[in-house]
Amino acid sequence: MPPKTTQASSVTPVNAFQSLYKAYSDNTSDRLKFIDAFLFFLMLSGIVQFAYCILVTNFPYNAFLAGFSSTVGQFVLAASLRSQVNPENKDEFKEVSPERAFADFALGSIVLHFFVYNFLG
Amino acid sequence: MLSILPALLLALSVQASVLTLQSPRLVVTDSTGSQLRSEPLSLSHKVATPVQISGKDTLKVTFQVVDKDGKGVQPHQTFLRFYDEKTNEEGIQPIRVTPGGKAKFDLNLSKPPLSLPPTPNGDPLKVTLLIGSSLYDPLSVELFDLVLPRSQAAPEHPLESTFHPLPEIKHTFRAENKLPPKFISAVAAGVVLAPWAVLLGLWSQVAPKPSRLFSPSILPFILSLGAFEALLFRYWVGLQIGQVLLYGAILTVPTVFAGKQALSSIGNRRLGRK
Repeated sequence: MPPKTTQASSVTPVNAFQSLYKAYSDNTSDRLKFIDAFLFFLMLSGIVQFAYCILVTNFPYNAFLAGFSSTVGQFVLAASLRSQVNPENKDEFKEVSPERAFADFALGSIVLHFFVYNFLG
Repeated sequence: MLSILPALLLALSVQASVLTLQSPRLVVTDSTGSQLRSEPLSLSHKVATPVQISGKDTLKVTFQVVDKDGKGVQPHQTFLRFYDEKTNEEGIQPIRVTPGGKAKFDLNLSKPPLSLPPTPNGDPLKVTLLIGSSLYDPLSVELFDLVLPRSQAAPEHPLESTFHPLPEIKHTFRAENKLPPKFISAVAAGVVLAPWAVLLGLWSQVAPKPSRLFSPSILPFILSLGAFEALLFRYWVGLQIGQVLLYGAILTVPTVFAGKQALSSIGNRRLGRK
């Protein structure tokens, strides 16, 4: 998604972010936004859990491990799903159809969740 | 010697297979050879005054082992035992007896034998004669008390320290884990749950419409994925790992077929074949 060209005089940080956001929301399909929202959620959740572990306590350490690693692992899986189903990356993943990517995502998620529940205690 | 002869005869008459001593005698001489003390020993009572030797004195004990007929006997084992009652230290000195039953023991203080126990306090040692033979009754006679010059204390045995009770083992445990205050826990739970609101908010705006989620070709796949998640949740609640692996393996079969059907139907639709 190439950023829209903006006039040089109006490039302030705020404007840059605005134009970046505008370009993103204009040029990104809803399906990818759907995944992006999920990625954003995972990132927030992981940050909050990590901050809790650092600032308050890590007492149920296994629970922290399970929760944090589930966000990290799910983020990786979702990010790879996103990159594989992105139509712009079609040339890079010629032999990987979106369906195949989703099957990988589902399988990987199940395995990940198995380990996460294993840790949850 | 004549004084103990009746006692010897008495002892002989009491027991047939008994051994006795003939003319037992102790002599203490100094370094020049002059006798300081010389007296006969008795089997029935020990010498009244302790025998004291010092410097380069020599203690000499002589006797002959005889049977009831007065014939010399060579016993199998003959020892002098030096025993300190206070420190419980003892020394055993073997004595050589000739085939005729004659025995001589020399204790030269300038060359003390190794078998002498240490006498750090100068306490008297009880000197006992022990005779053992397979053919006769054993004999144990307390002869006299022996006072030796003070010696160094007994060396401590290298393993001595292991013969004491060990100090009690005190376990130290890590402090009990503390839960944060309820308020902080509640706030943190709220913060951790907050991303869900963000997710649902974002999804409500951008979610693509699920067009065929409940069509018969896709629904089984969705259901089997849900079944997997339910199984893993049950694992958390109470299943054993073996059960989970077994049920998971069973559940894999329909999931694979349902997934193949669902995804190929989606793929066909995407490619415009259907």
